[in-house]
Amino acid sequence: MNKNLIPDNDANRMDEVLKRALRREHAPDGFADRILARSSEAALSARSSAAESILAGSWLRFFTQPLVRWATLTALATAMILGVHLHSVRRERARGEAAKQRLMLALRIAGSKLQLAKSRVNEINAGQSEKPEDKE
Amino acid sequence: MAERTPANSADIAESDFAQIVRLHQSMVFSIAQHFLADRSAAEELAQDVFLQLHANLPALKSEAHVTFWLRRVTAHRCIDFKRRRTLPQVSLDDTPEPAAPAHSPDPFLARRLRQFVASLPEKPRLVVILRYQEDMCAEDIAEVLAMPLATVKSHLQRSLALLREKVMRALGKVTL
Repeated sequence: MNKNLIPDNDANRMDEVLKRALRREHAPDGFADRILARSSEAALSARSSAAESILAGSWLRFFTQPLVRWATLTALATAMILGVHLHSVRRERARGEAAKQRLMLALRIAGSKLQLAKSRVNEINAGQSEKPEDKE
Repeated sequence: MAERTPANSADIAESDFAQIVRLHQSMVFSIAQHFLADRSAAEELAQDVFLQLHANLPALKSEAHVTFWLRRVTAHRCIDFKRRRTLPQVSLDDTPEPAAPAHSPDPFLARRLRQFVASLPEKPRLVVILRYQEDMCAEDIAEVLAMPLATVKSHLQRSLALLREKVMRALGKVTL
């Protein structure tokens, strides 16, 4: 090794030697492929964590638990069955009410007809009892 | 890479990212390698830089911006990496021998210089690496490292003097 390879006054020589020494090196084999694989994984996990963070800030997060989900479904089904049942009970009750109204109307009509018949009979009876007195 | 427009910047194709990685992998890896003098640590750091780039790519407007961003983030990550690992100051005897390019006219001198550079304090080391690996001027280095221009120049002058002294001492020992 020559002692005069880098003389003190030769700044340009030092620059050249440093540039050569610090030349860019090739990245290891498969470096880019490893980064691309990791970035794909990161993008996937970012997407799923974004969905999770949307749920995290929302009350919908409550329904992500399986037990709560099943309980909710059961409650919804029960509510539907109850609703249908109540609806049919109400419909039957309304039908009964309408039938009762019709019966009451029929009874009222029948009652008034009877009243009319009774007054006619009374009138006829009264007419017959007056005739013998006239003869006398 | 063409100038990005706001419309396409939101939708960065993976092929675009792959192209950037292949274009800049040597630069990012070499900055980390020359700074850390540890090939596996340099690869790990460089991968992290590119993953961070992947997340920030929509914000970068041009090829020049990408290059600037990569240099800045790599430099900051190098310092963070060194501090986080709390490695002892690299001694010349412990520094692993980096692979010398086959076409180097004096592999021994180049190897010794890389070891000397790796033994510099963190910020002067980065300044020297950006100056001589990336062939950047002092103004650009100051911008990348967010450092006053005078500080960059001072780091360069002192580092060069120190490196010259170390080289002379080492070469002297060799010839003795």
